[in-house]
Amino acid sequence: MPFSPSAGPTHEAMDALNAQMDEDRRLSDLADRIEACALGDRTALRAIMDQEGSRLLGIALRMLRRRDLAEDALQECFVSVWRKAHQFDASRGGARGWITTILRNQCLTMLRKESWEIAESADILERRQDEEVVMDAYGRLDMNSDLRRCLDRLEPPKRVAILQAYVLGYTHGEISGRLQAPLGSVKAWVRRGLIALRECLA
Amino acid sequence: MSDHQSLMDLAMEVALGLADEAEAAELEARALQDPEAAAALSHARMRLAELDDTATPETLPADMWDRVTLRLDERGSAVGVPPGTVPEFDAETDTILPANEPHAPRSWFMAACTGLAASVMLALALGWVVMTRPDPTVIAVLINDTTGEAVALVEGTEANLTRVTLLGQTAVPEGQVMQVWTKPEDDGPPVSLGLLAENRGTALAVDGLPPPGPEQLYEITFEQSGGSPTGLPTGPIHGKGFAKEPL
Repeated sequence: MPFSPSAGPTHEAMDALNAQMDEDRRLSDLADRIEACALGDRTALRAIMDQEGSRLLGIALRMLRRRDLAEDALQECFVSVWRKAHQFDASRGGARGWITTILRNQCLTMLRKESWEIAESADILERRQDEEVVMDAYGRLDMNSDLRRCLDRLEPPKRVAILQAYVLGYTHGEISGRLQAPLGSVKAWVRRGLIALRECLA
Repeated sequence: MSDHQSLMDLAMEVALGLADEAEAAELEARALQDPEAAAALSHARMRLAELDDTATPETLPADMWDRVTLRLDERGSAVGVPPGTVPEFDAETDTILPANEPHAPRSWFMAACTGLAASVMLALALGWVVMTRPDPTVIAVLINDTTGEAVALVEGTEANLTRVTLLGQTAVPEGQVMQVWTKPEDDGPPVSLGLLAENRGTALAVDGLPPPGPEQLYEITFEQSGGSPTGLPTGPIHGKGFAKEPL
């Protein structure tokens, strides 16, 4: 067999290893950059924005639905990253998760504050779109991932309630409205669903 | 169910975004000091984060960086917060900055109104106080930065008995409580004077502080029930003001 540098499992394994190392390097860069922000280095904040911005804007747009609101959320997220950088502790969790949590909390705050405004524009068409957005997120999860496997095991109403809360930032009340189910049932679904999820993911 | 399991379940609820606001704030504050709570939160978030990766990335608007830097400059916090000083004192706006609350921008107009309101309130308060209250050595009118309204009157005596009178109804977030703070030393940390139980004005006694002086900062923040878990202000500021000596 002729020698081919691009074939063979060894080479693929090397590629995978290299990709993994690149990813690790990127994430440790991210942690370093947050630490640099804490020391007042704005170029580090800029680098974080360049690296993570479009991913974060995608998450924000999916939750807030309006581009102007999503951009506001992203802007405030970076302001918070700058201000809270000194609280970041790499030993207590990943840098990317830390930043994503700041963004998600910003989006949730805006959703809770602006819920009247968003609810007003939520007609039936958007309701259908919301369902698609949630099912799309679910469908895009890696089939082999633990989260996908554990969500699969939940009864559909529990699964949908949990997905609506996380992906769209719905409150119990909003889930109850969308699923046309009593609030008490929704609260019970979420609670039991989360316990089942936690046990399955353990 | 074990304590650990209920901690994990609460962490999942917080990560999902459906925990009660006060419970979420309490767990986040606890996680800053308690490694077990921090691990539970981080574990729950990591588990659900896979769903974040299913969102389609969006191109940033060209002016995003300018918008961010504008906001950073506006707050007068060009330099990152030095480690270990949570919360910090912002000399430019005379505010004890809570660790995680964005600081509302203030226009000159609002500042002017605030000053005017403070003067009027101070005049009214002084006339009333001189006739009815025993010997305060300092008086401060606390102003809400956003509305420009006077929200509380603070009177301090030589012996550090502090009387707080709320001015008008206060919309205290559910599950939270008002906590009164002062800075006995300009460059020292804020010190808690106590909680306003049932969100009513009250007299608070604190031992071991120097007698209050003019220009001393007083402040009320919203904290989780039972008061700030860190011993320093963490919640949003309801009102703040500097003490004056009554003549």
